[in-house]
Amino acid sequence: MSFLSIFYALLFYFATGLLVVGLGYKIRQYAKTPAPLKIPTTPAPVTKGGVVIRMAKEVVFFYSLFRSNKWIWLFGWLFHITLFVVLLRHLRYFTEPVWWWVDLLQPFGKYAAFGMIAGLAGLWARRFLVDRVRYISAPSDHLMLALLLGIGISGASMTFVSHTDIVSVKVFFLGLMRFDLQPLPSDPLLLIHLGLVAALMIIFPFSKLLHAPGVFFSPTRNQVDNPREQRHVAAWAVAEFESAGDQQKNNT
Amino acid sequence: MADFEIPKIKNYLEIPAVQEDVMAHSSPFIAKPPHQAGLGFPEELVDDWENKAIEKMGDLLGKYRSFQVYLDSCVKCGACTDKCHYFIGTTDAKNMPVARQDLLRKVYRRYFTFAGKYFPKLVGATDMTKEVLDEWYSYFHQCSQCRRCSVFCPYGIDTAEISMAAREIMDEVGLGQKYCNEIILKAQTIGNNLGLPERALADTLIDLEEEVEEDTGLPVKYPLDVKGADILLVTPSADFFAEPHIDGLIGYGKVFHEVGASWTMSSKASEAANFGMFIGSYANMRKLAMRIREAAIELGVKRIVFGECGHAWRVAYSFLNTLAGPFDFLDPNYPVPQHICEFTHGYLEEGKLRINKEENDHMRLTFHDSCNVARGSRMGPTPGGQFEIPRKIIKAVCNHYYDMAQDTIHDATYCCGGGGGLLTDDLMEIRVKGALPRMQALKTVVDDHGVTNMAAICAICKSQFTKVLPYYDFSMDMIVSVHQLVSDAIVLTGSEQEKELDGVEDDEAEATAE
Amino acid sequence: MSTIDVNGTAVEVDEEGYLVDLGSWTPEIGTALAKGDDCELTDNHWEVINFLREYYEEYQIAPAVRVLTKAIGKKLGKDKGNSKYLYELFPYGPAKQACKYAGLPKPTGCV
Repeated sequence: MSFLSIFYALLFYFATGLLVVGLGYKIRQYAKTPAPLKIPTTPAPVTKGGVVIRMAKEVVFFYSLFRSNKWIWLFGWLFHITLFVVLLRHLRYFTEPVWWWVDLLQPFGKYAAFGMIAGLAGLWARRFLVDRVRYISAPSDHLMLALLLGIGISGASMTFVSHTDIVSVKVFFLGLMRFDLQPLPSDPLLLIHLGLVAALMIIFPFSKLLHAPGVFFSPTRNQVDNPREQRHVAAWAVAEFESAGDQQKNNT
Repeated sequence: MADFEIPKIKNYLEIPAVQEDVMAHSSPFIAKPPHQAGLGFPEELVDDWENKAIEKMGDLLGKYRSFQVYLDSCVKCGACTDKCHYFIGTTDAKNMPVARQDLLRKVYRRYFTFAGKYFPKLVGATDMTKEVLDEWYSYFHQCSQCRRCSVFCPYGIDTAEISMAAREIMDEVGLGQKYCNEIILKAQTIGNNLGLPERALADTLIDLEEEVEEDTGLPVKYPLDVKGADILLVTPSADFFAEPHIDGLIGYGKVFHEVGASWTMSSKASEAANFGMFIGSYANMRKLAMRIREAAIELGVKRIVFGECGHAWRVAYSFLNTLAGPFDFLDPNYPVPQHICEFTHGYLEEGKLRINKEENDHMRLTFHDSCNVARGSRMGPTPGGQFEIPRKIIKAVCNHYYDMAQDTIHDATYCCGGGGGLLTDDLMEIRVKGALPRMQALKTVVDDHGVTNMAAICAICKSQFTKVLPYYDFSMDMIVSVHQLVSDAIVLTGSEQEKELDGVEDDEAEATAE
Repeated sequence: MSTIDVNGTAVEVDEEGYLVDLGSWTPEIGTALAKGDDCELTDNHWEVINFLREYYEEYQIAPAVRVLTKAIGKKLGKDKGNSKYLYELFPYGPAKQACKYAGLPKPTGCV
């Protein structure tokens, strides 16, 4: 077994572990931190079902962003939706036999890469061209786009320019999933692509990519507008303010 | 008129090119030691404030999900950058919502995230220094916590939450704002923001009764501390003191009188406003809210109704039940609390109020949605009622009504420029500049529809506009209370107005009453 | 703490120019405070200032604008009993500017 195969195998175990544990830690943190006050941005849904619809509109269509800025929406939505399709397409490298609907996606998934690249390029261009966005961009914001663009371009290159031995790649990943190490082709494009993906997985729980779980925990978007009907209190507030002595006074 | 440049109203709202630090000089007066101590904060900047501030930040991160999630989630997409009225009016880069948040986020990253601890330059993380603190003090007092940015953020990141946390941290290390903290202490000790003692309040109300009786010929009452009344009205103390606020109060009283409601105000809870929200202090906000609960219990009322006040309605609608509930001792048939607009609207719908719209024919009106009502509360049973109900009231009492541009009303409304604890003379520059987007929208309806007056349901908005309108060549009395319009058009049973209508113009009066 | 000069004596005022020791007010101090704002006090100004002081003495607070306009209307004639007239006298707002010259604390709140 080549050093390269072992290195990439360990890298992906490490990256996956960190992604799962790191993300799990942050999600647990978000879930456990109380929201002591009702702060939905109104008009807000008055039922839980309504909140599910509101959240779906945000997550699937980027509704607020659409209201806000059509260019950012266009590039941002294009990037995310094509990334989603590309990710689904990649399931074929982790399943045997390949699920029928993943097969169905294959032609779309291949070309979705271009949408992804276009979206990212548009977003990155804004960081240079729009003075307001230029002002708020930190080096990490540029690097994040470079990383994603690198993943997109290296991936698309393997599909459309210089094919890699994709069958061996699949054997390698199926092997990783069964803890049975298999050789990885040493194609430079593939190594770049996989290296960047692993980097992205590692960075995920430490970066602004936390917006992915974050949006589901955003109180302005996920709270039901019913404060008059249902008393909403956080445990810390009860402990701090409605302790025994105080409570008696309140209950008169 | 001013020692700063007043923004020009153009044909359309222009998103300015960013400039750096042009508003860095804007900082409010610092709270005096007694005001700090009275609210449970250190009297002045404590030794070791850097560590205390970080400690407090950690405390808040564990207590407020919004704070934790919003500090992590921003991707710097730029959607919010052109949404803040203070940015539009000042062009200062740090008045873009994301840049304002970043003043705090960069410190959060430095002390609470892996990336910021080990790669501070890469992610823009900085130490908690005096320069940072000064910047916080300046720019977190250039945010009116109006939440417009939150509406347009793909993750709903609410700069108000960040700015409240920043102010709480500053209070906690001994750096409070004079305007807010002095007022909170007054409201907690005397009962209202003005510091109006019971006797002055009582005599002011007697004066008001005389005035209304002179006008209508009816003994319309403005009762104070009446035990056993059905309704406790909690209204901003500006309603007792300032114009056009007081005309709104006259209106509430006339509606109560006409429908035969048994109501009272309270000298203990003679303030609807709750500036505890502005400084992000749950403890102080609760203390103020508890006065209302206590007053309701002591007076033995069955219902609580709030007067026209924007942030007060947010605190009342969204937080009162949390802070001072449960209100199981009140009549369960009515929402707790209820807005005076909900109250009046109900009777208008039932046709129980006789209205002579022509009394308001000298005005052509528009309505300013106050930010806290629009984006932080509701009226009526359905979402968006906070937009519909005040407009329905205005249209029921006025013949000429015109909305301002769609992207400046409802939940996209622009703040008046004076909310969030900025309604103080030492912040006049930011107040005037921040009013630009609203002034622009107003100018458009003035030019297109001949609008003469703008109605509002917020004490801060009313005071802010009174002050700021003249800077933009409008008249200060252009701003009116919604219940002032009701007050002028309502035909009280047995009043001089009724006699005049029915005596002279019988037919027309009946037609109007339909 | 800053001071203003009143006939050779230094009088303490706060950062907004309001008198610190309310009990030390004299008409001369009132005139000096107004002068600081380039405001020359006429008899009509003094009617307002004197009423404010009387009211403050009784209630420990400045009067509501409506109370003030009514009182001034009684004293100076009905045509002057409105806030427009008061704003002519005190362009920065009767509540705040007149209180300052009268040596009253600045009204706080949403006003």
